[in-house]
Amino acid sequence: MADYILQVKGLCKSFGAVQASQDLSFSIQRGHIHALIGPNGAGKTTVLNLLSGELQPDSGSILLNSEEINKLPVHKRVKAGLGRSFQITSIFNDLSVAENMALAILAGRGHNFRFWKNAMAVDIVQHTLTEALARVDLSGRAEQQAGRLSHGEKRQLEVGMALVGGPQLLMLDEPMAGQGAGGTVELQKLISGLKGTTTILLVEHDMDVVFSLADQISVIVYGHCIASGSPEEIRRNSEVQNAYLGEH
Amino acid sequence: MILFIEQLLNGLQLGITLFLMSAGLTLVFGIMQVINLAHGSFYMIGAYVGATVTVFTGSFVLGVMAALAAAGITGMAVEILVLRQLYDRDHLDQVLATFGLIFFFNEMTRIIWGKQPLFMDMPVWLKGSIELLPGLVYPIYRLAVIVVGMSVALLLWYLFSRTRLGMQIRAGASNRDMIGALGVNIKLLYTLVFGLGTLLAGLAGVMAGPIFAVESGMGESILILTFVVIVIGGIGSVRGAVVGALMVGLVDTLGRAFLPSLFRTFLSSSYADSVGASLASMSIYILMAAVLIWKPRGLFPSYN
Amino acid sequence: MTSAIPKTVIIIAGALFFCSLPWAADYFGEQYLISLFTRILIYSLAAVSLDLLIGYGGLISLGHAAFVGIGAYVTAIFFHHSFVAEPIAGIVAGSDNALLVWPLAIIISAAFALIIGSLSLRTSGMHFIMITLAFAQMLYYFAVGLEKYGGDDGLSLYSRNQLVGMDLNNDVHFYFVCLFFLTLFLFISHRLVKSRFGLVLRGAASSSRRIKALGIPERRYKLVCFVIGGAGAGLAGALLANQTEYVSPGLLHWTLSGELMVMVLLGGLGSLFGPVLGATAYLLLEETLAMYTEHWMVYFGPILIMVVLFAKRGLFGFLTQKE
Repeated sequence: MADYILQVKGLCKSFGAVQASQDLSFSIQRGHIHALIGPNGAGKTTVLNLLSGELQPDSGSILLNSEEINKLPVHKRVKAGLGRSFQITSIFNDLSVAENMALAILAGRGHNFRFWKNAMAVDIVQHTLTEALARVDLSGRAEQQAGRLSHGEKRQLEVGMALVGGPQLLMLDEPMAGQGAGGTVELQKLISGLKGTTTILLVEHDMDVVFSLADQISVIVYGHCIASGSPEEIRRNSEVQNAYLGEH
Repeated sequence: MILFIEQLLNGLQLGITLFLMSAGLTLVFGIMQVINLAHGSFYMIGAYVGATVTVFTGSFVLGVMAALAAAGITGMAVEILVLRQLYDRDHLDQVLATFGLIFFFNEMTRIIWGKQPLFMDMPVWLKGSIELLPGLVYPIYRLAVIVVGMSVALLLWYLFSRTRLGMQIRAGASNRDMIGALGVNIKLLYTLVFGLGTLLAGLAGVMAGPIFAVESGMGESILILTFVVIVIGGIGSVRGAVVGALMVGLVDTLGRAFLPSLFRTFLSSSYADSVGASLASMSIYILMAAVLIWKPRGLFPSYN
Repeated sequence: MTSAIPKTVIIIAGALFFCSLPWAADYFGEQYLISLFTRILIYSLAAVSLDLLIGYGGLISLGHAAFVGIGAYVTAIFFHHSFVAEPIAGIVAGSDNALLVWPLAIIISAAFALIIGSLSLRTSGMHFIMITLAFAQMLYYFAVGLEKYGGDDGLSLYSRNQLVGMDLNNDVHFYFVCLFFLTLFLFISHRLVKSRFGLVLRGAASSSRRIKALGIPERRYKLVCFVIGGAGAGLAGALLANQTEYVSPGLLHWTLSGELMVMVLLGGLGSLFGPVLGATAYLLLEETLAMYTEHWMVYFGPILIMVVLFAKRGLFGFLTQKE
């Protein structure tokens, strides 16, 4: 009996006449890198938004560690162990890199209604900031204003921030998008380095990355999961070939 | 009962004025995503120009036409010179810049027309009252305002649902990135939408001229009511503007008319008057708060 | 090329200036300067409290004047009741003791900020701006309706509050009391924005989406910020009531909110000390320009528009910029 960290069952979501998710079901095993692929417009980002809580499904259920998380708002799901990065990088542009990371560190430590002491001088920040920055190779950029970083560096920062919370399940939305070749290699190393400690749900278009990193792949077409399996199984699946790899 | 119907009509009339103010503004908010504090200035321009031309030519109709022209043209000029620079800016910049416009317009009217309020006489052919129902006598002018307002609403409905321009505007209110992609001339569309809004504001202003005082700063008090209407109705929704305007117009008018006397029936006289009057003037804000608790984005929010 | 002037230099220069002003005024025989600069100090306090909201919390509140007005009215009402020796609503005795009334002004303003903030923060963006404006206007009409306290004509205090050890009716004493409170508030705000609370607040202002994704319930932080700003404004209101010895509903009018915002912009958003420069610049400008033409507003409007479009960082940003 496999240990499923996440189970999605019969998820449905419509926006007016458009059905973004139709009876969507798949499961992710703990410790895996699980990729979600599918043609553009298949509804992959919608899935992530439903999982993170930014959207509410019309029906269906989401089980994290066998517990229903449908009713939980975004910030509670984060506390429950769900982390995510965004397709369009979402960091604190007006703050420095170090402040971005410090916020991520402080976010997990109870409430932050502390008004006197300098945030950057807080113990937990002092102890973990350096390591958190080094993990995503941004140590040299600590004082830079985050809005001024290069595209790839912003992605690194975002992934770094999502990692600070020690999420059980980290959802990455097209992390390779817009990266040059060098950046892709870096991020791949980073992601594969997380295996064992963090389960990863990877939404990605770059097929090379997907097939080299993923333990399991689920294929989403028109909001419905048409196949789930190992990379080899998916490669051989004729339905998938027709629906998706055919256009590749 | 007669009093009630009379106040109902008054509330309808205020609602019409608010509708004219808010229809254009809610579109500007929804399509251009710009918060424009200077909208009241066009109401004021309409009133001033209308009053001046009416007195000068002796014709109310000419006055109205001049008011519409002045408000519309000034509006489009403002859009081209100032608003355009603000579309990509954050809301704070928009608030401050349009604030600057208010300063400018208010002082300009004081320079041109002086500090004393202008007196605008009601046109002779609209003076007097008629008997609508036995015992209910109502001023013709106010009825005319209601009729004009409803006609405008119908015209707008026709514009939005039957013409290509109207369709582009509605599409823009719901997804403004798309209309550019569809090859519509955005700049022109924005200027037209803004001009339409200011034209309607000018109409509201010139019609209000004979009833209220025409003075510098008159735009701001109506502007806040307009904001309440838009908050209640939902940004970007003309339908919301209609509903919101009617609600605000009726609640405000009926509240002022009946709340003080209502309070007098179960509180002692001196407190009743001031509590009743205070509550009456606060009633629309209480309404706004109530709507917000139930629907934070207004009654008819657009999905932008 | 202008070279950057370090922040600390400007702040120290400012402090020295304000501290020495009463003697300078005395030396030049221009006593009215003390009164003018007292007003500047009070408006600076209000502007700094607004900067906390706008510059750090990203909360564009067009209703901030309401809290200034509330603080002023609390002070005036308590004074009035002590003067006519009649308890308020038959229960609470009036008072002209600053040590009682000023904290009350702060607390009551903060309480209103809590209520208005809780309702307004259910919205964001354009809605938030319009709603804060609407609520403030509601309070304005409420004040106009307070016939017992003068309504539209306002209410006079016949002297300033009593403060132990000082004679507030002495302009120089009062000036230094205002300077003290401004300094205190600046100090508190400075620590506040650098603290964990401040970091979360600035993050929430920078990216609401991101802060939520970090699992932080941002609304609470924004509400606390709103309340602190309201408290600061309330204190400014109490001081203002003392300075002019008069309050009127005009203190709650949204045009005052707009003026405060202009001061924050002119001085430099998100700098805390900038708004002090901004308030000084605005009020001095108002004094001097008004001498040349009573229609100075017609020039000020376009100037403001240009500052917004081209000179966003304000005076403080201009002076401290690095080339």
